Amino acid sequence: MKPLHHFSALELRDSFVRGEVKAVQIAEYFLKRIKQHNKELGAFLKTLEAKALLKAEELDHKRAHNKPLGKLAAIPLAIKDNMHIEGEITSCGSKFLKNYKAPFNATAVRLLEAEDALFVGKTNLDEFAMGSTNANSAFFPAHNPWDLKCVPGGSSGGTAAAIAARLSLIGTGSDTGGSIRQPAGFCGVVGFKPTYGRVSRYGLVAFGSSLDQIGPMTTTVADAALAMEVIGRPCSSDATSLDFPPESYSLPTEMKEIKIGVPWNFLENLKPEMRANFAASLDVMKSLGAKIIDVDLDVLKYSIAVYYIIATAEASTNLARFDGIRYGVRSKQAKTLEEIYEYSRKEGFGKEVKKRILLGTYVLSAGFQDAYYKKAQKVRTLILDAFEKAFSECDAVAMPVAPSGAFEHNSIHDPIEMYLQDIFTIPANLAGLPAASIPSGYDSRNMPLGLQIIGPQMCDVPVLQYAHAYEQATRHLRIPPAYEGLS
Amino acid sequence: MAHFDTQDLEHLKKLCRLDCTPEEDADILSSLNKVLDYMEQLNTVDTEGVRTCRYVLRSLMKQQLREDEVKDLLSREQFLSNAPDQIGGMIRVPPVLKAP
Repeated sequence: MKPLHHFSALELRDSFVRGEVKAVQIAEYFLKRIKQHNKELGAFLKTLEAKALLKAEELDHKRAHNKPLGKLAAIPLAIKDNMHIEGEITSCGSKFLKNYKAPFNATAVRLLEAEDALFVGKTNLDEFAMGSTNANSAFFPAHNPWDLKCVPGGSSGGTAAAIAARLSLIGTGSDTGGSIRQPAGFCGVVGFKPTYGRVSRYGLVAFGSSLDQIGPMTTTVADAALAMEVIGRPCSSDATSLDFPPESYSLPTEMKEIKIGVPWNFLENLKPEMRANFAASLDVMKSLGAKIIDVDLDVLKYSIAVYYIIATAEASTNLARFDGIRYGVRSKQAKTLEEIYEYSRKEGFGKEVKKRILLGTYVLSAGFQDAYYKKAQKVRTLILDAFEKAFSECDAVAMPVAPSGAFEHNSIHDPIEMYLQDIFTIPANLAGLPAASIPSGYDSRNMPLGLQIIGPQMCDVPVLQYAHAYEQATRHLRIPPAYEGLS
Repeated sequence: MAHFDTQDLEHLKKLCRLDCTPEEDADILSSLNKVLDYMEQLNTVDTEGVRTCRYVLRSLMKQQLREDEVKDLLSREQFLSNAPDQIGGMIRVPPVLKAP
């Protein structure tokens, strides 16, 4: 039998169900891998050893007594540390919440647990999910398993590194402007941001409420589809949850009659290497029967400006709740009520978070709201209109995940240059669209690159179907060499 | 073009109930000005007659406000378990009212 970390999540579950491997063996195996590799990767902020082993024993008992097993039985699963697991710390990668124990389960967590997943740990992230590198974690940065000198991307960089190095087989991410797809692309794994509202945000610490969406990060598209079958359902605790029943994902391997739109005008500045990789991906889709057409999405060039107004405005509002009064860390220097707010936030938040709260407050403040916030929401309408028109001509839009492969730590200092890393992922958040990131090959440094497929709202199933067909035809997905072996 | 200076930043920090270190101040001031410069490009977009986006889910969102009823309530004990300071089942803060 191949090593357990070479299995996909589906394969491992089936192997467990057939009795070829025990759940306790699986839990111990992946916990050991985390112990061996987390020091160099910084992927996990915390492992949940006792919890995983307890659940594994319960599953072995269930199986031995022929009791029904969940869809995710014995699959090791990593949860991004901005989602609540009851009784565990939810730090959000922030000093502010380093002691915050979640009083309830996030809906996604509850659903995953009910289907018998083994939670192995909470993964690292940029503080409050704000960042594209994981360097904004208040605790330690995460690193890219393909080259430890490089960033894993962000903000779900911890989950991406964990899945790429096979320290877990499924992970959750949250995606506000690309935080699932960009790290998935950088680390060579599959990442999926569902339609806004498809997955409940209850128990996810809010960043930009009109943009945030939880989604899976996996080693295959089929595993992402499996996770979506579990978490993609209505939830009465989230007022923006879509009232549609869960869907089942059958995954064909062709793209006959499928029209893929490419916004060439928006992609005109692609570097030659990225352009070549993207063109090769389009050729693959053509060979699967897809028709490639040009679509006009020129307005997407304003996405970054629109996003950094709307996302920071929403963040400044959402993060007002961190006041040092009810939960989180309260400054010991504070003598008055005002000082509690000001000092606790000064000591608890990192620089990027402060920057975004200040920017968000500025664009919402009296005298500037019309010029910034309202203007951005109007351009957002134009972006929605442009996508609507594009989708009247094609079934899905394709573009790269990011302007390049993973870059080295500390190599980008200019804020605009950093924000532009998300130029291709942000549009799907602004328009609430489902979007998948699938490995599309490697650059000249042998760092993974990603293809992004974006569909109309509620076309989560077709997006993963196209992604699956592409994946099966290419099989770019590999385990980083340093993590192939047993230790 | 500088959109705001140190004085504006101080005002903004007050609005946010947020204090920063002097090093943070300098960096934040410079990057916020850069970001706001970048956002100027939106002024070139013609949005005459375009409505403000309120919901991204255009046709999918149903009127689904639930009944206004109490549910999923945390117990007092559970709620206070994360409070930084408490006394007698309540959260403790410094005096808000000053002695006359």
